[in-house]
Amino acid sequence: MNSMRLLSARHATYLAIGIALIGAAISVRALAADTDVSADKPTSMRISSSQYRRTISDIFGSSIVITARFESETRENGLLAIGALNNSVSEDGFERYDEIAKDVAAQVIDKNHRNILIPCKPKSATASDDVCAGKFLSTTGRLLYRRPLKKEEIQTLVGVSKDTADKKKDFYAGISTSLVDLLISPDFLFRYRTLEPDPAHPGRTRLDGYSKATILSSFLWNSNPDDLLLKAAESGSLQTDKGLAKQVDRMITSPEIASGVRAFFSDMLGLDQFDILSKDAKFFPRFTPDAKRDAPEQTLRTIVDHVVNRQGDYRDLFTTRRTFLTRALAALYGVPLVDATDNARPMRWLPYTYPDGDPRAGILSQASFVALYSGAGRTSPTVRGKNFRLNILCQVVPPPPPNIDFSLIQDISNPKFKTVRDRLTAHRTNPTCAGCHRLMDPVGLAFENFDSSGGFRTTENGAPIDTSGEWNGVKFSGPVELTKALHDDPAVTACVARKVFAFASGTMPPTNTAPWKDVQAKFASSNYNFLRLMREIAVSDLLYAVPETRLSALERK
Amino acid sequence: MSKLVDLIGRRRVLKGLLAGGTVSVGLPILDCMLDGNGEAFADTGAPIPVRFATWFWGLGFGEGAWVPKASGTNYELPEQMRALEPIRHKLNLISGNEVFADGHPVATHVTGAQVTLTGRIEDKIKYAGSLDCLVSDVIGNGRRFRSLQVTCSGNPVDSWSARKDGTKLLAETSPLALYTRIFGPDFKDPNAAEFTPDPNVMIEKSALTAVTERRNDLMRQLGAADRAKLDAYFTSVRALENKLQVQLQKPAPMLACVRPGKPPEDDGGVVTLVSDAMARHDLFANLFASALACGQTNVVNLTITEGMSGLRFEGETASHHSLSHEEPIDPTLGYQKKCFEYQKVYMEGLLKFANAMDAIKEGDKTMLDRMLIFAYTDHGAPRLHSLHNYPAITIGSAGGRLKTGMHVPHAGQPITRVSLTVMQAMGVPIASFGTGSNRANSVIAEVAA
Amino acid sequence: MPNKFHNLLFGSIWIALALCLNPVSAQAESRGYVIGWLATASYYTGDVKMGCPDGRNGGVVEMHARELEAIGFDKKEAVELQRKQRDTDAIVPAYRDKVYNRARVNGKEGSVFTYPDFTPDPNVELYSGKYAYGFDLTGTASPSKFEDPETHAPVDNQLWRAMGCINQYRTFPPQKPMLEDTSWDVFVDNAPAWTIQITGDDLSKDGKVTVTFGRATQHLLRDATSGTLRDATYIVDPASKTHEVLEGEIKGGVLTIKPQHIYLEGELPFYMDIELENGHMRINRQSDGKLIGYMGGFTDWKRYAYMSIARPFQDAAAIEGYHALKKMADADPDPSTGQNRKISATFRWEAVPAYLADGNGNIIAAPDDLVQPQTVANNSSR
Repeated sequence: MNSMRLLSARHATYLAIGIALIGAAISVRALAADTDVSADKPTSMRISSSQYRRTISDIFGSSIVITARFESETRENGLLAIGALNNSVSEDGFERYDEIAKDVAAQVIDKNHRNILIPCKPKSATASDDVCAGKFLSTTGRLLYRRPLKKEEIQTLVGVSKDTADKKKDFYAGISTSLVDLLISPDFLFRYRTLEPDPAHPGRTRLDGYSKATILSSFLWNSNPDDLLLKAAESGSLQTDKGLAKQVDRMITSPEIASGVRAFFSDMLGLDQFDILSKDAKFFPRFTPDAKRDAPEQTLRTIVDHVVNRQGDYRDLFTTRRTFLTRALAALYGVPLVDATDNARPMRWLPYTYPDGDPRAGILSQASFVALYSGAGRTSPTVRGKNFRLNILCQVVPPPPPNIDFSLIQDISNPKFKTVRDRLTAHRTNPTCAGCHRLMDPVGLAFENFDSSGGFRTTENGAPIDTSGEWNGVKFSGPVELTKALHDDPAVTACVARKVFAFASGTMPPTNTAPWKDVQAKFASSNYNFLRLMREIAVSDLLYAVPETRLSALERK
Repeated sequence: MSKLVDLIGRRRVLKGLLAGGTVSVGLPILDCMLDGNGEAFADTGAPIPVRFATWFWGLGFGEGAWVPKASGTNYELPEQMRALEPIRHKLNLISGNEVFADGHPVATHVTGAQVTLTGRIEDKIKYAGSLDCLVSDVIGNGRRFRSLQVTCSGNPVDSWSARKDGTKLLAETSPLALYTRIFGPDFKDPNAAEFTPDPNVMIEKSALTAVTERRNDLMRQLGAADRAKLDAYFTSVRALENKLQVQLQKPAPMLACVRPGKPPEDDGGVVTLVSDAMARHDLFANLFASALACGQTNVVNLTITEGMSGLRFEGETASHHSLSHEEPIDPTLGYQKKCFEYQKVYMEGLLKFANAMDAIKEGDKTMLDRMLIFAYTDHGAPRLHSLHNYPAITIGSAGGRLKTGMHVPHAGQPITRVSLTVMQAMGVPIASFGTGSNRANSVIAEVAA
Repeated sequence: MPNKFHNLLFGSIWIALALCLNPVSAQAESRGYVIGWLATASYYTGDVKMGCPDGRNGGVVEMHARELEAIGFDKKEAVELQRKQRDTDAIVPAYRDKVYNRARVNGKEGSVFTYPDFTPDPNVELYSGKYAYGFDLTGTASPSKFEDPETHAPVDNQLWRAMGCINQYRTFPPQKPMLEDTSWDVFVDNAPAWTIQITGDDLSKDGKVTVTFGRATQHLLRDATSGTLRDATYIVDPASKTHEVLEGEIKGGVLTIKPQHIYLEGELPFYMDIELENGHMRINRQSDGKLIGYMGGFTDWKRYAYMSIARPFQDAAAIEGYHALKKMADADPDPSTGQNRKISATFRWEAVPAYLADGNGNIIAAPDDLVQPQTVANNSSR
C-alpha cells in the first residue's frame, strides 16, 4: 500500500493530532492559498519538457526530432506547474539540455533544413557572415527568449558564431554553436517575470508586456509566445484591457487551445505517472503495453472533446458517457469497438458512448484514474480516495502516523475479510486510523468494481463487491450515484478553478478576494464552461499581480 | 627515497626506475588518489570512466521453466544460471521480454538479436545502429579503439555490431590476433601518453563562456529566490565547463593497467567443440579486461557463436542448434535436458567474463562496478523460433546508475525497453528506442537508479 | 477434464447485452470467439518409445543419415559424417545437391520436393500405438482404428499413423508439432484470425446450436502474456472464402456437429487451407470461457504433405512424411490408379471469447467471459 509509508519520528506529531481528534471530524487541509506576500519567493518557472518540445516544433517545424531525455519535473501541491517554480537545473539536467540543444541545432543546420529555417544565405558557406548570422539569431532569439534580444546579447552571439565559423571554415557550424547558446541560456530555460514602472500607479511596478505574453502563451497554448503575441507586447496593447482581451480571445478560439487544455489536465490528473506504472500480466493480461500507452490519451481526448469541442459543463466530465477508445482499450474495458482499419495498421481512436446508467461513464472510471492509482496486483481504495481528494477537490489528507500494524489489511487469505472493504473496515476500528480513512476510503470503495487494471468486476475473492457509501450526507449505491452527487458539490468547481490559476501562475490564487470571486462567478454563470474559466483567469489582474502588490489586490474594490 | 614519496612524486619515481620502458608495473589505485566518493582522481578531477560490454549467447534458455517465480531481490536464479550465484547481487535478470514482428517476415536466429540491438525489425541487410555503437558514440571517443568485437566461433561475421550508417563491425576470431592488435608494437603505455586536445571540445568550451558571461547581468534583475535558482543553474554550467576542461588536459594515468601475457597460437578458424570455443572465450575475457583497464577502449563486445550455435560437446551427435529443435521437452523436468547443459556452460563462461572485470580493482570498487555488461540472446524459446519470453541479463551497476540484484518479470513488454534502460544507464541521450511495437518509451523503473 | 458448456462461472446479464446485439432471433444467444491456437492433433505421453517400438526413426542426424544412405553411403558412415557437421540440422553441404536431386524422372535427375513420387520411400517407422485423437468417420469397425484418449470411441486417424513416429510431431499442447509451431508464430501476428460464432436459444442448456466459422479482417491481438487477447473486437470478413455454417448440438455439455464438408482458408507458411470431407467436430468449453475443439475428417493428403514441404526448414522429414501419408491414405481412391487421395486426419484448436462484428459494423456476437455491469438505469430512484 504505497500511501502507507512508515515515516520518521518527526511525524509523531500527526499521531498526536490523530489521537486528539478521535471522533471529531478532521478537516482536510486545503491546498495552501498564497497569502505569502514576501518578495523572496521565486517567480521564474523552468520550462516543462512538453513546452520545450512544442516551442521547438512551433519555431523550427515538426520535422525536428528531439530524442533525448529531459530532466525530471517535481510535483508540488499536486501540480508540476507549481514545482516548476522551485525547479532549477541540476548538473545532470544541464548536460541533458546541452545534448538536446546540440541535437536540435545540428538538425536546423543540416542540408534538409538550413535553407528553410535560416532565411538568409551567407556570402560564403565556408566563412563567417555577421550580417546573416545576426539576422537569424535576433529573429530566433526573440522567439526563444520571449522578448527581443538586447544589442549586447546579439553581439555576443554573433561573436560566438563568427569564432566557430572562422575556426571550422563553416558558416553553418557557427550558426549551430550560437543556436546552442540560445537554447541552453537561462532566458530560454526559465520564464521570467520582468517588472516595469506602472504609469497608472506612479511609484508602483507592473509586469511588462513580454512577461504577460509569456504567462499567456504557456498557459493557453503550452508554448512560447508567437509573433502576434510578441507584437502585442511590443506595441503596449497587452497592457490595456482591450488589447489583452483581444489576444486572449484569439488564443482561446485557436485550435492550439487544445494543447493548453491537455497540458493542464495531464498535470492535474497526474498522467505523467503512467511512465512508471506496471501491472502483473498474470492477473491482468488485458493490460497490454498498447492499453497502457492509450489510457492517458483516452482521458485527454475525452476532456478535449467535452470542454473544447463541445464546450460542455466541466462537472459533466465525471458523468459523461462519451469517450474515445482504441481496440486495445476496448478489450481492457470489455466493450465492443468496431475498427475497420486494415490489418496490421496502427489502431485508430474511435468515439464510444456507454449506455445509459453504465458505471463506466465519467473520467474517474477510466484507467487513467482507477488503474493509475492502484498497485500492480491489488486495488487500494485508500490511494484512490486520497488522490481523488487531492486532484479533484484540492484537499490534502495528512500522511499516516508511524508504527502502524498493517498485517490485517494486507492479509487477503482471511476468510472473514474477503473484500478490501471488509479489511479496511477492520482497519478503521483502530481510532488513530479512522479519522483520515473516513475521508479517503468511502470514495475509493465506490470504485471497487474496477480492478487494478481498470477492468470491471463484481466480486472479490468470491464475495460480492459493495460499492455503497455516503457523500456529503447523500447516500450512493455506486459510482454512478457518487459522481452525480459530485456534480452538485461546489468543491469540485472551486478546486479546478484554483488549479487552473496555479497552473498558469505557479501559485494558488488569493481565494478570499473580490477579483477571485468574480472569476468564480463568471465560471458559474457560463455553466462551468472550462474555456470561459481559462479566459477569465487570463484577463484577470490576479494573474499578473506583482508579488508585493498582492496585498493591494486584496484591498482593491 | 621516502622524501620523494608523495602522490605525484611516487609515480615519477617509479617511471624513472623503470626507465620509461614499455612495461609498466601495475599499481593499484590508491584510495588517497581518489576523491571522497572514490569516483575521480583527486589531482586532475578526471572521472574514472564507466565501461560497457555486450555478451551474446545463442539459443536462450528454452520454454518458460527457467523463469523465477519471485520478483525483486529474493528470487532463485534459474538452474542454468546457478554458476552466477556468487555475483547475483551484481546482476539483474529480466524475463518475459518480447520481440514483435509487426507483420514483417522473421529471420530465425537473427530477428530477436536485431530488435534487441537496433530496435528495428527489417531486412538483415539494413542492420545498422546497434546499441553498443550508440554507446561507443558517447563514451568511445578519446580511446584508441572506439570499440572492440570478438567471437569464439571462428567466423568473423558472428558480430551484432554495426554503426549508424550501416557499417558492420566484424569480429576478431583469434585471441592471439587480438592481443597483437591491442598490446603489440602499437601499444602506447597510457601512463606515459602524449596528448593533443580535441578542437571541438575547445569550441564547445568557449561557447559556454557566452552563457556564463551573462551571469552578473541576469542576477542584477532578480529577486533573492530567483537569484538562488539561477545560481544553481550556473553551478551546473560550471560543472560542464569543468568536464570540458578536463577533456582538454592530459588524462590521468591508468594505474590499474597491466599489460597481459601473450595468448597461445590460434589461427582463429572455425571450431565446433564447446570446449574449444569456451577456451577462446576465457582468453578474450582476460584480454578485454586488460584493454579496458589500460584505457585502450571503453566498449567491448563478445559473441560465443551466431544464434544457431553449431557447438557440440565431445562425443555428442547433434549440435546445440539441432538439439534445440528436435530434443523433446522432458515431461518431468519441463525443459530440454541436453540443451540445458549447453546453457549451463555458456553461463559459466559469463561468470568468468564478469570475474575478469571484477578482478580489476579501482579504489574500493572494482571495474565491474563501474561497468555494465549486457548479455542477450537470439530466441527466448529457440525450439519454436519464438519471439517470446527472452531472457536478458545485466551485470554491474554502470557506476551506480543501475540497481542490481533483481529479477524483473517483464512479460509482454518489448525487449527494447531493456535496451533503452541499458543505454540510458550508459549516458546515451535518447528518450525512446525502437519502432512500431518494438518502440520503448520508458525505462524499466525497477532497475533505473 | 474438459468442462461443459453449461458450467458458466460468471453470472452474465444477457438482457442488457441482447439489446445491443443484432439478434438472430429475439431470444437467441450469440457468442463470439477467435481461434488462438491450431495444430494437427498430436498424442504423446513423453515416453520416447510410445507407439514406436522399433525406435528406428531417431532424430535429425539419423534422418539426414538416411538421406546419405539413399545416395550410397553405408549406415555407419552416413551417421558419422552427419554427426561431424557444424550444423547438424542441415544435410552435409557437400552432398546437399546430390541428396535433394535424387529423384529420377525418366532417367533424369529431379528435385525430391518436386517429384516426391519418384524418390524412393525412406520407409520410416509408422505409429502403432493404441491412442490417437479423432472421430469415427466410417461407422464400421476396423483394425486400423485408434481409440480416442478422451472419448474412448474408435476413431480414424491414419494421418497420425503416418506421422506419429516422426520426431517433430511427438509433442503435446501447448506445444504444437514443431514446424506448425514455428510457422504459426509468424502467421498469427499477420494473418487474419479465424472467427467462430455460436448461436442458440440457451447455450447453458443442452440443445440445438449453430456454429459459424469465418475469417476476420484483422490479425489476432496478443495480450500482456503473449497469449491471445480476450474480448477484443474483430470484423468478420464478408468476402472470405471461409464461411462455414455448421449444425450443432450441445449434449451432456459437449458441442458436436452434424458431419459436413468444412473449409478454412489459411495463410502461408502455416496452412494455405484446411479442408475436411465428412468433417466432424467436438467442442468443450472451459470454465474461464476458452473453447477447445477437435475437428477431423478426410483431408487431401497430398495437400497436407506439400504444405509440410513448403514450410521453412522442412527438408528430409517432408519426403518421409509424404511417403508415409501416401501409404496410409484411406479414402477417395483415384479411379485410374487406385491410390487413395484422402486421409483421415484430426486437428485441435483453442479459441478465446471475442466480439464479432459484421461488415456493416453491427455486433453479431459477444464474449461470454465478461462481467457486465448492472446498469443503474432509468428506473433508479434518483
